[in-house]
Amino acid sequence: MKIATLTLFLTIAATAAFPQTQIQTTIDPTKATSLLRIAIPFPRTALEAASINSAFFAPLTRDIAGSGIFAIAPIPPNIPATADLAKSVNAQLVLSLAVDAQPLASDPQQNEYIIEARLLDSTGSVQLGKRYRGPWTAITKIAHTLANDVVRTLNGKPGIFLSQIGFASNRDGNFEIYLMDWDGGSQRRITTHNALSILPSWSPDNERMVYTSFVKGTSDMYIINRRGGGRIRLHTGLGLNTSATFSPVGNDIAFVGSVLGNPDIYLIRDDGTNIRRLTSESSIDSTPEWSPNGRQISFTSGRSGTPQIYVMDAEGANVRRISFEGEWNDDATWSPDGERLAYTSRVNGRFQIRISNLVTGETHIVAGEGSNEQPTWSPDGKWLAFQSNRTGRWQIYRMRVDGTDLLQLTFNGENKDPDWSKKAE
Amino acid sequence: MNKVLKTFVCGVALIGIALVPACRTKKTPPPVVAPTVTSTSSTPPPPIDTTVKPPEDFVKTDTVAAEPKVTVEALPADIEELNRVAQQRGLLQDAFFGYDEAALSANAQTALTTSANWLKQNPGYNVLIEGHCDERGTEQYNLALGDRRANIAREYLATLGVDASRIRTVSYGEERPFDPGHDESAWAKNRRAHLVLVGR
Repeated sequence: MKIATLTLFLTIAATAAFPQTQIQTTIDPTKATSLLRIAIPFPRTALEAASINSAFFAPLTRDIAGSGIFAIAPIPPNIPATADLAKSVNAQLVLSLAVDAQPLASDPQQNEYIIEARLLDSTGSVQLGKRYRGPWTAITKIAHTLANDVVRTLNGKPGIFLSQIGFASNRDGNFEIYLMDWDGGSQRRITTHNALSILPSWSPDNERMVYTSFVKGTSDMYIINRRGGGRIRLHTGLGLNTSATFSPVGNDIAFVGSVLGNPDIYLIRDDGTNIRRLTSESSIDSTPEWSPNGRQISFTSGRSGTPQIYVMDAEGANVRRISFEGEWNDDATWSPDGERLAYTSRVNGRFQIRISNLVTGETHIVAGEGSNEQPTWSPDGKWLAFQSNRTGRWQIYRMRVDGTDLLQLTFNGENKDPDWSKKAE
Repeated sequence: MNKVLKTFVCGVALIGIALVPACRTKKTPPPVVAPTVTSTSSTPPPPIDTTVKPPEDFVKTDTVAAEPKVTVEALPADIEELNRVAQQRGLLQDAFFGYDEAALSANAQTALTTSANWLKQNPGYNVLIEGHCDERGTEQYNLALGDRRANIAREYLATLGVDASRIRTVSYGEERPFDPGHDESAWAKNRRAHLVLVGR
């Protein structure tokens, strides 16, 4: 495997002046028998190391470590990044970095930061060479962009490091809608309703969110763009208006509406037109979620007596039950490959994340402490974010689908209703 | 007095009818049918008395039961204060529900009947019914369950004669618990349809 990898690397001719090279590789990280060892020395820089570390180097190395493709080879300090380094730490790749600052030509009072990155194989050939520029406030975003580029160089597909997680937080008083990076960085508020606002859901292009707010005294659905502007309210004339979720194809939003106290799954266009009703059982139907190809909708229904997970066509036909274990199942969400559902499942009095394979029928729980609810998949299907009250308050966590590499992402106030953006970048 | 006389006459007539078989001419007695109920012991009939007495359940109507005293107190003009007072005095009562239930228990119906009476007597206010759930369910299903609870209460008030156009509903699911505790006594307080007076 290692020799084949090196041969592949050597067939790519090194090019001058930092052009981006694309390796024609068939390496599939999910089938790799071993991770690629990569050495990432601290960037060559005249700037203050602590700031470079927290704003750039640490997020970058966390991303590389979280990719599932690389293992970071530890290196002794003060060793130059050359082909010798790769051999001496037994790494197949070296990521050589330099960070510089220079005054902006347009405004000498402001600094522009320049990051040079070169991905070298153990012969010293450059597999990726890029220069990134931006103000200090973009340094972390540059780290994530570089990590995405490194992953794409090996994988053909970008990493998820620029993806965003929307969530609800009451750190400022009322629950409002917030965004954060995949690693919990850059947590920022985007709504200012000063009223209970919850349950955000991303549009497929990562540009907008639809959410529920009680600002007018009852549940209403709003659409807002990721910078907090362009807010519109969806008028439905229905009693309940909540649990809204964008279709991955087209302009429809599925949501829970109700007439005379009978909650059902409805569809509405994102301009507020064409309301259609999909379910009509007398029982409660709630929590809709689209399959990745937009052709099916999972939802929760009390029609068998307790809340359980069902799947139907996007037109409302072919309803079939999915969950059969436990007396409360809710919050189904689809893996990006459409083969699995993750959902909230009551087990021994607490809620756990359950993963159900729609192809094989196999289910298992990914157990955690406390109550664990509302899972949401990363765009590459390798991670789940969810909310847990294991510390006594609701916080958002991230873990691999197998439950390893658990990380708490929020700490301030109560935080819940995570929704991971669908696009990788 | 006429009523007394009527009752007396009816009572005598009944006793008279009961006494009639004793005055009939002799006939072959009807076949005896074995009684099917054997659990209660049978008591022998009381001896026939020639003096006619009024039936035991005769109610003397010369003493009229006192009507319940109605105290009329001015209600606060401020609607928030009014809500507080109305709940405190039990004029407006919430309906409480069982776990994962939206059906009205007998107690819930009684509570809503009291509320309906007050609302009908005070047409100057509209009412908002909030549906609430305890924390043990999931957030999204509970929003739907709260909607159901609020609407079941609304429907019941309407059948009792409260104009449906005066009633609005909202579901808060498990978002706004009345009791933040984590035991059944707290949860029971949170599973409710909560009535709030609002201006017309």
